[in-house]
Amino acid sequence: MKKCIVWDLDNTLWDGVHLEGDIKVRPEARQVIEALDSRGVLHSIASRGEQELALATLRTTGLLDYFLVPQINWEPKPKNIISISKALQVSLDSIVFVDDDPFELAQVAYMLPEVMTVDAVLTRQLLVHPCFRVEQNTQEAQLRRRFYLDEQARQDAQREYPNRKAFLQSCAMRLTLRPMHKGDLPRVLELMSRTHQLNTTGRVFAEEELVSILNDRRGGFCIKVADLTDRFGGYGTIGAAIVERCDSSWKLHLLAVSCRVLGRGVERAFLASLLDDAGKAGCALALALFRETGRNRAMLALYQMMGFRKCGNCDGEGIAEFSRVTEPPPAIPRWIQVV
Amino acid sequence: MSLRQEVEAKIRKYICDNYLPRSAEVNLCVDENLFDSGILDSAGLISFIVYLEKSFGLTIPDEDLLPEHFSSLKAISSYIIEKTRSVPAGE
Repeated sequence: MKKCIVWDLDNTLWDGVHLEGDIKVRPEARQVIEALDSRGVLHSIASRGEQELALATLRTTGLLDYFLVPQINWEPKPKNIISISKALQVSLDSIVFVDDDPFELAQVAYMLPEVMTVDAVLTRQLLVHPCFRVEQNTQEAQLRRRFYLDEQARQDAQREYPNRKAFLQSCAMRLTLRPMHKGDLPRVLELMSRTHQLNTTGRVFAEEELVSILNDRRGGFCIKVADLTDRFGGYGTIGAAIVERCDSSWKLHLLAVSCRVLGRGVERAFLASLLDDAGKAGCALALALFRETGRNRAMLALYQMMGFRKCGNCDGEGIAEFSRVTEPPPAIPRWIQVV
Repeated sequence: MSLRQEVEAKIRKYICDNYLPRSAEVNLCVDENLFDSGILDSAGLISFIVYLEKSFGLTIPDEDLLPEHFSSLKAISSYIIEKTRSVPAGE
């Protein structure tokens, strides 16, 4: 699945060369931007030119607000695409690059083979391309661009604080843990398939499986979701956990947290609260599953840094079990209020 | 400069450059818990590990990702020094 389109400007987003005369936004480009934005796809720019001038022109087209961290300069485009990938925390293999110049397309394909390159004449096909297909638009998808703009405000605000902790405390983060209900279904499916770094097994439960858990047909299973807000705005539902509890045994089958909240201890707070609940429910020992996906070593680190230790080898599907006593519960980062 | 000071200075510089890009955290104490002070988190630790492996020529196995090795500047330095010592010398 692709998460971000990086556009060239001249003869791609618009017809004409900006520094040489009038330009006109190509209707198919506008259509793709508007439609995919509502599906939660982000847009950015890697183009040659003068940033100030180009942004002023973009403003007159009404498209400026769609573009996050535009890179309009004279740097090589692969370098600009890497900057976009870092700034938006979107991996290179989730990026699509659209340009009319065969040289630029070839250069990006050569230097960044993970990036999908698309010739500008094929712009319209992006609308129906399977890599942008979503089963159902979630509220998070429609607000995704807003979330990134809030994030920009957070990063700017951080400069005002003497250290990281003071900044985090000023954010007033509130993490709400609640049982999943039917309306969360699209978002939970999305979290399972879109999150990679903060995903303990990479297992995507089928919709029917989730529904049967919701309808209590899978004894002992329950799904908890986490919503996050801070003083800058709401992040929406940013995590999901699938837990199986049977008498005094407790097992975490999946923990998936959006990479949008990376770097502020949210996954730690989520897991710590789950363990706290397990202990209070009388389960002395917590088990947690982990399967290496090549991208989720952070979750292995999370387990071990929070006191889990591997118990036993991987099963046939590469799933390993970790365990930890539930008492004393691990500390929740002090800057996060869990409710 | 002792080996420990050298290792500590190198790690401190990396942490300040990469995890505290806009705030001057020059007084980062060697005992300060990097997780409790919000400087490192699980994903940050992984890119930090990649840096340590590259810059000190080590392989850090999964089972070493533990609080006793990575929670503070002091702990990390001790771990790195210990690890470098245990790398067998070339023939």
